[in-house]
Amino acid sequence: MIRKPVDIGDPHRLYTVTGGRSRGEEAGLDLVTLIVSECRPTEGMQSEHVRILELCAHPTAVVEIAADLRLPITVVKILLGDLLAAGRITARNPRPSAAHGDAPESALLKEVLIGLRNL
Amino acid sequence: MSDPAAPGQHRVPGGRLPLVLLAVCLTALVAGGAAGAAAAPDGTRPWVLGVVAVAGAVAVAAFLAVLLTVRRTATAAANAAAEAAALRGQAEYRQAHTAHLADSVLPAVAERLRNGARTEDALAGMPVPEDLPLRRLLHSFAHEVSSATGQRLSAQAERDEAARQARELAEGVDGLLTTVLPGAFARLRGGASAGTTLAGVPRPADERLAALTEFVIREYATSERRSAAARTAGTKALSRVQAAAVAMLADLREMQERHGEEVFGDLLRLDHSTSQIGLLTDRLALLMGGRASRAWNKPIVMESILRGAVGRIAAYQRVRMHCASGTAIAGFAAEGVMHLLAELIDNAANFSPPIDEVNVYVEERTAGLVVTIEDSGLRMSDAAMRRAEKAVSGESTDLAHLQGTRLGLAVVGLLAHKYGISVSYRPSSRGGTGVVVLLPPHLLAQQRAEAPPAAAVPGARAPREVSASGAGSALPAAAPAGTAASAGTAFPSATAAPAAPDPAGTPAPAAGETAHGLPVRPRGRTLARADRARERAADASADLPQRKRPARDAGASFGAFHRSRRPEDPSE
Repeated sequence: MIRKPVDIGDPHRLYTVTGGRSRGEEAGLDLVTLIVSECRPTEGMQSEHVRILELCAHPTAVVEIAADLRLPITVVKILLGDLLAAGRITARNPRPSAAHGDAPESALLKEVLIGLRNL
Repeated sequence: MSDPAAPGQHRVPGGRLPLVLLAVCLTALVAGGAAGAAAAPDGTRPWVLGVVAVAGAVAVAAFLAVLLTVRRTATAAANAAAEAAALRGQAEYRQAHTAHLADSVLPAVAERLRNGARTEDALAGMPVPEDLPLRRLLHSFAHEVSSATGQRLSAQAERDEAARQARELAEGVDGLLTTVLPGAFARLRGGASAGTTLAGVPRPADERLAALTEFVIREYATSERRSAAARTAGTKALSRVQAAAVAMLADLREMQERHGEEVFGDLLRLDHSTSQIGLLTDRLALLMGGRASRAWNKPIVMESILRGAVGRIAAYQRVRMHCASGTAIAGFAAEGVMHLLAELIDNAANFSPPIDEVNVYVEERTAGLVVTIEDSGLRMSDAAMRRAEKAVSGESTDLAHLQGTRLGLAVVGLLAHKYGISVSYRPSSRGGTGVVVLLPPHLLAQQRAEAPPAAAVPGARAPREVSASGAGSALPAAAPAGTAASAGTAFPSATAAPAAPDPAGTPAPAAGETAHGLPVRPRGRTLARADRARERAADASADLPQRKRPARDAGASFGAFHRSRRPEDPSE
C-alpha cells in the first residue's frame, strides 16, 4: 500500500466545528435563505463565524456560504443557527408566497402542455 | 666445672691436720698405755702392754689407711681441676669461634649467597672452622640459604609474572569497557552486523577476553536484530492500520458531504471513533519509531491545530478552546504538535472530574506560542508531577523506559524532543494541574501572521464577484471560487480536492487558472511556480492594498522554497 506523502484536507473534523452537535435548532433555514450579517466579527470568535459574518456583509445564500466554507450544509446550518440565536445575523427567505401567486395555475399549464403535444 | 675444684683446694691445708691428730692420738695412747701398765697389777701387766701395743698398731694402720685415702683424693682433685681449666679454655676458644662464625662468617656467606654465588664459591674464601659440627653447621647453613635464595628468586619471578598478567588483564578489561564495547555497540545500533562489528573493533590480546567480547557482541547483535525486526514488523502493520484509518476518515468526510441530516450524527460518531483509533495507532507508531499517519504540506492555523488535537480524544466536548491567535504552525511540525497537544489534553481530561471543563489557552509571546492546558481535577502530587515532567522532557527516548500503559506522555516526550518543544507542569490556579507548552518560533509559519487579513478580503470578495459575473449560475461557479478563497486563507496549493477529500485521487484542472483568474496548481507543478502565478495574478488586480508585500519577504521566500521542496522529497 502506498501511503500518500501529504494530506491536503483540513486536520480538524466536522464534529469539532459544531462542538459535537449534528443538528441545530430548527431555524427554518433553507438552501436559498439569504443571510445578512448584523455586526462585525469580534475577537475570539470561531473562525467559521468570522468567515460567515464577513461573507454575509452582503446578503448571501446558505448554499453559497456552504460552498465558500467548504462545509456540508448541515454544519453550516448549525453555525448559522448559533449566529442567529446570538442575533449576529438575520435570515431572509425568498418570498415564496409572492412567487407562488405570480405563477400560472397548474391547470392552465396542463392545458398548455396538452396543446403543445397536439401540435 | 669449677665446682669440683673448690673442695680440692680446701683440702690442701687439711692434709696436715690428720698427722697432727695422729701424733696427738699416738701420744695419748702411749701415755694411756704407760699409765695403764703402771697402774695394772703385775700379773696382768704383759696383757695390758700387749693390748696397748695392738691398739697402737691398729691405730697406726688406721691412720695410714686414712692418710693414703686422703692423698689419693687430693691427687684426683688436682687432676680434676686441671681438666676443668683445660675444658674452660677450650670452651672459651669454641665460644670465640662460634661468635666469629655467627658474627662475621655466616652473614658474609649469606650475603654472597644472596648475591647469587653458588654454595662452593660462597664458602671458598671463608675461614673454615676446625670444629666438625661447626663446619657441618656452616655447610648446612650455606645450603639452606642458597636453596632459600633460589626459592625466593623463583617466587619473585612468578609473582612478577602473575602481576604482569593481572595488569594486562586489567588493561584489557579497561579497554573493553571504555573503547571496544561502546564502539561495537554503537556500530550495532547503527545497523552493522555482528561480523562487520567484530572485524572492525580491536581484538583483545587475552584469549578469554576475546571470547568474551565476541560472545557479548554476538548476543547484543542478536537482541538488537530481534528488537529491530519486532519494531519493523510492528511499524509496518501499524502503518496499514493508520492508512486504513485515514482512508476511512476521508470516506466519512465524503459521506458527511453527501448525506443529509438524518445520518449526519451517526457519521460524526463514526468519525470521532475513527479519529480516536488514529490517535492510538499514531501513538504506537511513534513509539516504535514509525511515522504519524498524516503529514501536512501547508501551515495549519492554530485553531485548526487545536481542533485537530481535541477531535482525537474521547472527551472533546469538555474542552474549551480560547484561541484568538491567527498564528499557524509550519506544515512539517503540524501533525507532531497536534498529536502532542492531543495527548496532553487527553491526559488532562482523563485526570479531571467528568463534569469539569478542560481549558486550553493560546497566547503569543516573543519566545514562541504558549499553549496552556488547565484542568480542575485533583492536584498532582509532587512525585507524580516530577514523573510527568521527566516523561515529557524527552530525555529518555528509549523504549526500555516505558512504564506499562503510560505511553501518552512518552510520546509527548518524543515529540517535544524532536521539535524542541518545551512542556512543563505546574499547579493550576483553578485547582488542578496546568501544562504549559511552548512552541518555539521555528515551528511557526511566519507569513501566516499577516496572511489571514490579507487573504480574508479576497476570500470575502470572490463570491460577490462571482455572483456578479456568473449571473445566476451560482452553484457551479461558487464552488471553485470558494475553494480558492479558502485556499487563500490556508494556502494557495490547497485548491485541489474541494469536493472529493481524497486529494491524490483528484486530478486538478490542467489549466493554470480558473476562468476567474484564480490559480490552480496542476499535478506535478511545484508550489513555488503556482505561488508565482498567483502573485502575477494578484499584481494584475492592483486594487488589493495588501499586495505591497511588506517586510516579510525573507520569510515568505524561504517559505516558498520550503513548500516547493516539501512535496518532492517524500518520493518513496
